Amino acid sequence: MLWRWLLFAWIVLFIVLAFVWAPLVPVLGPTTRVLYFHIPAAWVTVLALGWSMLHSVLYLRTRKIGHDDHAAAAAEIGLLFCITAAVSGALWAKAMWGAYWNWDPRETSIFFIMLIYAAYLALRAAVDDEQRRARLSAIYSAIAFVAVPFLMFVVPRIYFTLHPDPIINVRGKVDMDPRIRWVFLAMLIGMTGVYFWVQQLRVRVVRLERRLHPN
Amino acid sequence: MTVPATAIAAGHVTLTAKGLQHRYAGHRGLDPVEFDLDGPGVVAVVGANGSGKSTLLRIVAGLLRPSHGATTLTLDGREVPPPDRRHHIGYAAPELQFYVEFSVAENLRFAAEARGLAGPDAAVALALARVGLDSRAGDRVDALSSGMKQRLRIASALLHRPPVLLLDEAGSHLDEEGRLSLESIVAEEARTHLVVLATNEPREWSLAARRVELSGRGLGHPA
Amino acid sequence: MPHEGSSFPAAVWAILRKECRSEWRTRYGLNAALLFAVTSLTGVSFAIGRLSDRSDVLAALLWVVLLFASLASLSHAFVREVEGHTLTFLRLVASPTQIAIGKLVFNLLFLGVIELVTVPLFLVLMGAPPVHWGEFLALMTLGSVALATSSTLVGAVISQTRGRGALFAGVSFPLLLPVLAAAVSGTKSQWAGNPVSAEIRLLAAYAVALFAASLLLYDHLWED
Repeated sequence: MLWRWLLFAWIVLFIVLAFVWAPLVPVLGPTTRVLYFHIPAAWVTVLALGWSMLHSVLYLRTRKIGHDDHAAAAAEIGLLFCITAAVSGALWAKAMWGAYWNWDPRETSIFFIMLIYAAYLALRAAVDDEQRRARLSAIYSAIAFVAVPFLMFVVPRIYFTLHPDPIINVRGKVDMDPRIRWVFLAMLIGMTGVYFWVQQLRVRVVRLERRLHPN
Repeated sequence: MTVPATAIAAGHVTLTAKGLQHRYAGHRGLDPVEFDLDGPGVVAVVGANGSGKSTLLRIVAGLLRPSHGATTLTLDGREVPPPDRRHHIGYAAPELQFYVEFSVAENLRFAAEARGLAGPDAAVALALARVGLDSRAGDRVDALSSGMKQRLRIASALLHRPPVLLLDEAGSHLDEEGRLSLESIVAEEARTHLVVLATNEPREWSLAARRVELSGRGLGHPA
Repeated sequence: MPHEGSSFPAAVWAILRKECRSEWRTRYGLNAALLFAVTSLTGVSFAIGRLSDRSDVLAALLWVVLLFASLASLSHAFVREVEGHTLTFLRLVASPTQIAIGKLVFNLLFLGVIELVTVPLFLVLMGAPPVHWGEFLALMTLGSVALATSSTLVGAVISQTRGRGALFAGVSFPLLLPVLAAAVSGTKSQWAGNPVSAEIRLLAAYAVALFAASLLLYDHLWED
C-alpha cells in the first residue's frame, strides 16, 4: 500500500521538476516536456506487449489460466498506453513540424503495435469459452511476436524508400542536459510503476470476476 | 511403419481416470469422476442426459483436454498420451460427420490413407462389410439415411482395427438389422479389445459386464 | 502391440488430395475467390485506367488486390471443415501438424491459381511496363508463401471463433503488412531495373520465421 503513495509522490515531484527545474532542449523549445510523457508511454506500450506475449507463451506451456489473465490485462493496458503515446506523439508532431501524422518510422511502429493489440483483443472478444479463448489468443500472440521485429524495424524503413518525405523529422541526437536526463529516467521509472500497478489491479479484478461467476 | 490389415490382439489395455472433470463456458460438462478399467471387455458409461458421457469419451479419445484431472491409457504397459490416442482408439459419436461431397468408400479411403494403413482398399472393404455398407460404398454421404450414416461412423471406428473402441450412442438411428450387427461387432471386438459404450439404451447396457455411472445434473445447472 | 505410424508426407499428401478433390467437386470457394479478384481488379482498372508511367502505384495496386483476394478467400479451407462438422473426423485421422501443412500447401496452390488469372490480367489492363520475370516471379512466390503460411494459421484460429471474414482480415493484417511492404517495394524496384535482393531476403526471412513459429504452434490448435 505504501509503495503506491510513494509512486504518486514520485510522479508528482518529477512532473513539477519537469516544469521548474529541467531546462528546455533548444531544438524543441517548450515542447521539450513531451519527452517526459510521450516516450515513457511508448516504452510502456512495448513493455506491456512483451509482458503479454511472454505470458501467452507461458500459458501454452503450462495451461495455467493465471498466465492468460496477465496476457489479456497487459494487452488492454498496453493498448491504452499505445493510444496515449500515439496521440501525444501526434500533438508533438503538430507543434514541432506542423503535421499530426507523417508515417515516420516511430509513428509507423506505434501504429502497427496498435493494430496488433486491437487484433488480439478483437480475437478474444470472439470466443466465449475461457480455455479456448486463452489458447487461441496465445497462439495469435506467439505468431505476432514473429511479426513485431519486422513491423518495428524493417517496414518503416521500407516506407521511406517508397515515399521520400518533404517533411524531415529531426529527432536525432538530443543533447541531454543531465537534469533533463534525470527527470526523463525518473518518469520512465514512474510510468513503469504505474503500468505494473494497473496491471496488478486488472488481474485481480479478472480473478475476482471468475470467483463470482465460475466459468 | 504401417499397420497390417490382419487383426491386432490388444494384449492388456488399461484406462484410468483420476480427478477427472470438465467445465466449459459456464456449464459443468462432466462432474468429477474416477475409474479404473482394464480390457479386453465391454464397459458401459451411463448417466442422465447431459451428465457428460460424450464429454468423457471425447476426453479419452484425446479430442478434448479436460479442465481438471486426466485419463491414462496404457497398452501392454506403455502409456499412450492424448495426442497419440487417435492411432489406438476407434471413435464413433453423433458429432462425427463425413465429407458430404465424397462417397462412403472415398471417405474411408481418405481415412485409411491419412492414417497410413497398408492395404487401404482391403481395410475399407473389410470395414464396410462388417457394418453391412458394402452395397452403398459408391453412394455420396449426403444420399445416406441417418441409419446408414451411423453404420459409416462405426465402420470408420473399426477401420484401423484399434485396441480400444469408444462408441457414443452407437445404436442410434439403427434399424433392427443394424442393431443386431452392432451387437455382434461389439461381442466380437470385446474378445480381444476394450469397448466403451456410452449409452442411455438398456439394450446396449446389457452388452456390458461393467459400468461407469456419471452423476452429473446436466447442462445449465452449475452448482 | 505395434504402434501404428503413418508416414508424415503420406498423410499430408492424402489431405492435400482430399482438399483438391473437395474443392473440385464443390468449386464454390475457387469461383468466389476468382470472382472477387477479377472484380476488384476491374474496379481498379475502370477507376484509374492505364498507369504505364507510375510503377510505384502499379506495384501497390497489384499487391493490394492480391492481399484482398487472399483475405477474402484463404480462410475457406478451415471454415469449410467447421461448417461441415468434419473437423472431428479430420482430427482422428491425422495430426494437427499434418492437417495444417496439408491445408497450407492447398492454400498455396489456391493462391497460385488466383494469381495465374489475376496477375496477367492486371499487367495487361493497367498497361504495366515489361516485367523482369526472374525478380518478379521470385517476389510473387515468396510473397505468396508468406501469405499462405500466415493465412493457414490465422484461418485455423478464426474458424474456432464466432468471428468470420472480417475478423480473419483484421487479425491477419498486422501479420501481412511486412509482406505487403517488401513485395510492393520489390515490385516497384524491378520495374525501375533496380536490384531487389534486399526485398527478396526480407520476404524469405519472414516466410521462414512465420513457418517455423507455425510449426511450433500447430499442435496447440485443437483441444476441444
